[in-house]
Amino acid sequence: MSREIKFVLNGAQTCVAIEDDWNLLYLLREKLGLTGAKEGCGRGECGACTVIVDGLAVNSCLYFAVEIDGKEVLTIEGLAGADGTLHALQKSFVSNGGIQCGFCTPGMILSAKALLDENPQPTEADIKQALAGNLCRCTGYVQIIESVEAVVDKSSGDINAVVRETGDSD
Amino acid sequence: MSNYAFIGKSMPRVDSRAKVTGEALFTADLRLPKMLTGKILRSPYPHARILNIDISEALRVPGVKAIVTGRDVIQRKWGVFGYTQDQQFLPADRVRFIGEEVAAVAAVDEDSAQRAIDCIRVDYEILEAVFDAMESLAPTAPLLHDNFPHNINVHVPINVGDVEKGFAESYYVREDTFTASEDSYFQGEPYAVVARFDTDNNLEIWMPNAGPHMKAKPLSNALGIPLNKIRVRKITIGGAFGGRSEIAPADLICALLARKIGRPVKIVYTREENSIATRQGHALITTIKTGVRQDGRVIARDVTCYMDGGAYSSTGPIAVSVPFLCMEQAYKMEHVRYNGYRIYTNKPPRGMIRIHGRAFACGVDTQLDMIGEHLGIDPVTMRLVNAREPGEFTNTKSHVASCAMKETITKAAEKSGWNDKWGKLPPLRGIGIGCNSVQTGFPMGIRGGSQAIIKLNEDGGATVISGVVDNGQGNDNMLVQIAAEELGIRTEDVQLVTADTEVTPSDPGAYSQVSTFIGGHAVKNAAENVRRQLFEIAAKTLNVKVDDLKARDRMIYVKDSPDTGIPLKKVVRMILAQGKSVSGQGDYWPKVDPKREWVKNPFGQMCGAFSFGTTVAEVEVDPETGKVTVLEVTAAQDVGFALNPLVLEGQFQGSIAMGGQGGILTEGHVWDGGSVLNPTQLEYKVPLACDMPKINTIIIESNDPEGPYGTKESGMSIAMSAAQAYAAAVSNAIGVYMTDFPLTPDKILEALQNKVESETPNQNEDVMEKALELIVPAV
Repeated sequence: MSREIKFVLNGAQTCVAIEDDWNLLYLLREKLGLTGAKEGCGRGECGACTVIVDGLAVNSCLYFAVEIDGKEVLTIEGLAGADGTLHALQKSFVSNGGIQCGFCTPGMILSAKALLDENPQPTEADIKQALAGNLCRCTGYVQIIESVEAVVDKSSGDINAVVRETGDSD
Repeated sequence: MSNYAFIGKSMPRVDSRAKVTGEALFTADLRLPKMLTGKILRSPYPHARILNIDISEALRVPGVKAIVTGRDVIQRKWGVFGYTQDQQFLPADRVRFIGEEVAAVAAVDEDSAQRAIDCIRVDYEILEAVFDAMESLAPTAPLLHDNFPHNINVHVPINVGDVEKGFAESYYVREDTFTASEDSYFQGEPYAVVARFDTDNNLEIWMPNAGPHMKAKPLSNALGIPLNKIRVRKITIGGAFGGRSEIAPADLICALLARKIGRPVKIVYTREENSIATRQGHALITTIKTGVRQDGRVIARDVTCYMDGGAYSSTGPIAVSVPFLCMEQAYKMEHVRYNGYRIYTNKPPRGMIRIHGRAFACGVDTQLDMIGEHLGIDPVTMRLVNAREPGEFTNTKSHVASCAMKETITKAAEKSGWNDKWGKLPPLRGIGIGCNSVQTGFPMGIRGGSQAIIKLNEDGGATVISGVVDNGQGNDNMLVQIAAEELGIRTEDVQLVTADTEVTPSDPGAYSQVSTFIGGHAVKNAAENVRRQLFEIAAKTLNVKVDDLKARDRMIYVKDSPDTGIPLKKVVRMILAQGKSVSGQGDYWPKVDPKREWVKNPFGQMCGAFSFGTTVAEVEVDPETGKVTVLEVTAAQDVGFALNPLVLEGQFQGSIAMGGQGGILTEGHVWDGGSVLNPTQLEYKVPLACDMPKINTIIIESNDPEGPYGTKESGMSIAMSAAQAYAAAVSNAIGVYMTDFPLTPDKILEALQNKVESETPNQNEDVMEKALELIVPAV
């Protein structure tokens, strides 16, 4: 059955007609031309199709398109600023060598973003756990984990400042 | 060697930005006007005769535009070598493995294509199949190919010295057999092809590849059109790891569909198709007999290796030879005999993979540890006694110009704290070491060299044209680094035109660890050529000799007086004003013995250089579950010269993941006859982020005299030695030499159980339990 859904895609209100059996990855790649999310397995094993829906990193190949009605979706195409300025995670993956073939990279970065949004100061174990659903065959994950850690280090100062302010107000 | 602007510096890769923004396009991301979707019908039987294919019903499915079968192909079998031509793509008569291509459909969308596939009726006569290499050798086994008796696809015999004499002179001789199951690449990107013909009937084709020129010629043969009409285009590639080098059936099928209907066609493999219908790694049975002196030095070695090659040859002669070559490079010995056999079975064909021949390499090293234990010599000393040294020749007569094998051993041992740990770790903790050596290049005949063309534009920017392909390892950046360095411009001034067979000259591809050594070398030579043209004009202008000049940061200046210079752009414009172009070519051919041939004459200079690597791994085994936790891994490699340490470290780490963590602990295919039971990532168990141990990487530079800037292969001898180190560490932890890989928990538990039983005279349950308690560490 065909129906119309409305959702926020990379910050823009979007309205599309979909079929009930479409998954989100198919909608993004085949109908909206957003090919940053990759299909590595089509069954939720590899994480190459990871996008963020309402703050959560999800496998878009397992997510029915109909379920994003009224929700907010962030894909890799929406992560950099409108002027092309890279997000801190994107910059860090570039400078720390967190990229080889690049097939897993969009999903990897979005899983890392979802983690940092929820837990701005993750431990190395937290990072490894958060990325456990994103397979990389090239890097051995070391430089990917270092890329995420580098962002955590940079933001830690800001977070401490927030904590102090809260303390003062009490 | 210092004073480079870019060479030897850690720098982010030029392809990084497009990859973090999702803008990098992979084959499956391409969309062309009027493009159709292709799907392939595959054989459900491991061995069957095709009696009839009825496509009439399938053609009536709405949306179907074209169907191809064996009737649409030129009857000409494919083989990497003339003497291994055995694979007819889209066979019309016989299928030899589950998943072999039988027919294909192009339709307006995937659902229509799949519906049509389901409507193709194929009548098969099921034939007897064989799934085991040793059974396949039996006289009663069904023959897969009439012209390959006993199902022996390739036999590589090598005999140097007199092994029997060597064994007779040995202080200690032992023989052991090591086995491993098939493994797979599991590249991030599943295989995909897009093909279209233009109005002049030129084929444009995109696919993940390890060498566009290696794809183009067989496509030209299979389609019956000239090579200059085959345009394998550049595209972002999601990994190769030894695969994706030769023509794939899907390449031809996609082109046939596109030609038949006159529209572009895209075929994207499922993950399962990528596992069963591209290539896999070989299963191995390796028997190694080694004789040593009292000090552990190997005198003689006799190796017989049976490789399960699956249904077709693929890179057979290379596959049979390389595991032997790696180990004859790594370690010295006086007498050696090798009999390597690649055997046909009714399973998917096997090719080269990053840790090709793990049972061979792990076998040689495990046996060294066994011998060392017998002689009372520790593993590090065993390896130092046998390690290859610079200036030597391998048994098959390759000169080893640069070699820091001993340094890799001592540095890795030192960093890992070997002396404090060996023999001193608590029960169920273990440490192991592995050494390996990998070729920088295979003999590739007329495709063995590379040529590059560079042109400078009037703004001082350069266009570099090279056949080198980047399938994830960073080759594009390597070319940019070299061109910018030699021309004295910035990396952003360099634009690449690479890996496109319409315009790029021939190149061996990113296949035999050779891109920098050969392709990079050609770019360096081309850049030196262009720079000479600039310097000749600049020297006249500045009134100095050409040799006094230096190019750096868009300037050409006099070496000892940096204030005296002229902008490079200005020199380009001066040359253009004289009515000349500023462009040049350079090529590089490796100094290999052209008479060397894998089977007929496996002697002479194999390749330009050899890399040497040592890995040390420390593990802990849980005796209740058999699970191995890897605590720390240290990898040291002689890479010749580190062009870009950031990229190199990534190669080392990735090699440890694939070679050790996956290659020894989890990765192996499980079968039911000819069916792969674990074709997906979850079931096959590729390593995850949370599996990875602490990794120390050590780069050792021996400055190869032939490699550009002294470089040679990097990463591969870590992948191989990591497998050996992991295997040794697990064996050390449980006190049992493990001989069948991968070392999955079930095998470890069985080994522990057998050990307890063999050490316990009275095998009643109470005693067993007490004995087990003894080896379980107190919590």
